[in-house]
Amino acid sequence: MSSGLPRRIIKETQRLMTEPVSGISAVPDEQNARYFHVHIAGPKDSPFEGGNFKLELFLPEDYPMAAPKVRFVTKIYHPNIDKLGRICLDILKDKWSPALQIRTVLLSIQALLSAPNPDDPLANDVAEQWKMNESKAIETAREWTRVHAH
Amino acid sequence: MAQSLEEDYIYSDDDDDDDADPNDYYGDECMEEDQEPVDEREPDPEHFDFKCLTVSEAKNFLDKQVQETCGKLKVDKRSAQVLLMAHGWIFSELEKRTEQDISNLLIEKGVRARNIPQVRKGGYVSSCSVCLQRKQPSDLKGLLCSHSFCKECWSKHFETLINNGIATDLQCMASDCHIGAPEEFVLSFLEEDSHRQKYQKFVFRDYIKSHYNLRFCPGADCSIVAYSEKPQSKRVDCIQCKTSFCFNCCGAYHAPTDCETVKKWLMKCADDSETANYISANTKDCPKCHACIEKNGGCNHMQCSRCKYDFCWVCMGDWKSHGTEYYECSRYKENPNIVNENAQVKAREALKKYLFYHGRWENHAKSLQLEAVTLANINKRIQEKVMKNEGTWIDWQYLLNAASLLAKCRYSLQYTYPYAYYLESGARKRLFEYQQAQLEAEIENLSWKIERAEKYQRGDLENQMAVAEKRRQTLFKDFFPT
Repeated sequence: MSSGLPRRIIKETQRLMTEPVSGISAVPDEQNARYFHVHIAGPKDSPFEGGNFKLELFLPEDYPMAAPKVRFVTKIYHPNIDKLGRICLDILKDKWSPALQIRTVLLSIQALLSAPNPDDPLANDVAEQWKMNESKAIETAREWTRVHAH
Repeated sequence: MAQSLEEDYIYSDDDDDDDADPNDYYGDECMEEDQEPVDEREPDPEHFDFKCLTVSEAKNFLDKQVQETCGKLKVDKRSAQVLLMAHGWIFSELEKRTEQDISNLLIEKGVRARNIPQVRKGGYVSSCSVCLQRKQPSDLKGLLCSHSFCKECWSKHFETLINNGIATDLQCMASDCHIGAPEEFVLSFLEEDSHRQKYQKFVFRDYIKSHYNLRFCPGADCSIVAYSEKPQSKRVDCIQCKTSFCFNCCGAYHAPTDCETVKKWLMKCADDSETANYISANTKDCPKCHACIEKNGGCNHMQCSRCKYDFCWVCMGDWKSHGTEYYECSRYKENPNIVNENAQVKAREALKKYLFYHGRWENHAKSLQLEAVTLANINKRIQEKVMKNEGTWIDWQYLLNAASLLAKCRYSLQYTYPYAYYLESGARKRLFEYQQAQLEAEIENLSWKIERAEKYQRGDLENQMAVAEKRRQTLFKDFFPT
């Protein structure tokens, strides 16, 4: 099964298992070694604190020349993440470099939860709310975390 | 006889000449006094200097610019290319920047590294940080930033990005490293010919696209590059595929309207076309006997085949009223009380106004297409006449000239409608619409006469051609910036 898997993916998977990053877990699917079940804990001092967010990550055929595809499965109220869980993050698009790894991508997503950027929005309605009334937006994000992310 | 034949040849070669009476067969004998002296003081507003270059000519042109820049700035070829590209290939712009500080500029553009690269010690076994395979240090290659990766990874990296259309922007693989990859470096990792060709094609495309004085011909599969010393929103006629396009926006030629307005107009048309199509159906009823009429020719002067009533297809009014100076069917009459009306009425008025202009725009576009049919008919008729010994082929060429002049005038007329739509009400708009109406009337006269060429004398037709072209030029002189 994994005979056709590039050494790079095998190595990365091993390292994710042996040296996990705090607050992040990534487990390859039993059927497909390019598909990962990811969990990210909401960062401290953010409206997502206490939440456990589920994501899916897929390594396309030309990985690492092309970026992995990542999506939130858990509903989240965030200006850079839309209704379908798609993420607006530069390193997943034009700033991708083959030297980046699954680990660095997930760390960047964790950092995005701590620092939402409403000036570069993906979910326009959320971004607007975030700019107009930040405290109310943060309240909503907390509420969504409590209801959906456990 | 031999002499006059020779003259025929000279004249019939003159197809593209914009002046009136270009192909006058009897020019020397009877028309001389009628010809107006060419006015040298008034420049033709449509005049534009351009050159059509082949791919290799364009490449030579770019190479020459790069070499000159190398000499003037004392930099290598690669630096010159990157710097020229970043400044639209305008040397004076580049010079302004380099006067201050050239080395920081080169760092900013990824040609030079900020820090002096560390030299790797050889000898030990290391691995490529992208594929994580063990490699000999000698197999690891890198740019001047000293980030090294193996040959296979570089190849895959470049191939993937080239397939996405990236060429001159290829960079080092390390994250956040902006050192650019020079052409020779990229080519050294591309083994397949198809990849190499694709890459070089894209590099050339990037150069042309960034160049202030060069444009690709937008014609399908055309490789011509147009050059102009002073880029303007003027007409370029491709020498290879014959496409006419605007040098500035590379869209279809759109004088007298400017690039921005025509873009806005075309967008609006694309958005509202459903409504417009619905409202302006393809057939209309005769205003007198209500016979259903389908328009099958370009001319808007219609004659009902049943009741012989002459009317205008555009405004459906009596054609007689179009013969005078008060031809007004191209002018939209705005509701003078619009400021006092409510929002719904205003919206309806706005739609009405748009549909008025859009209807005319569409109508002339359709007429232009239908006149292609007329042209085919003319060719057929000429053949028949020649076969019946009614004059020679050359004798009938004036009909083809008339048809091509008609197409040119109608094309300009079509593009006057977006101009008028966005023009603010006032004296200038009234003048524009007056001239537009005059032009339209003469074009319809010309179209009518061409479709019934047998009934009209050649002189009559050629006079009509001169009048229509004069109207067109008058409008352009007043409203199309030189």
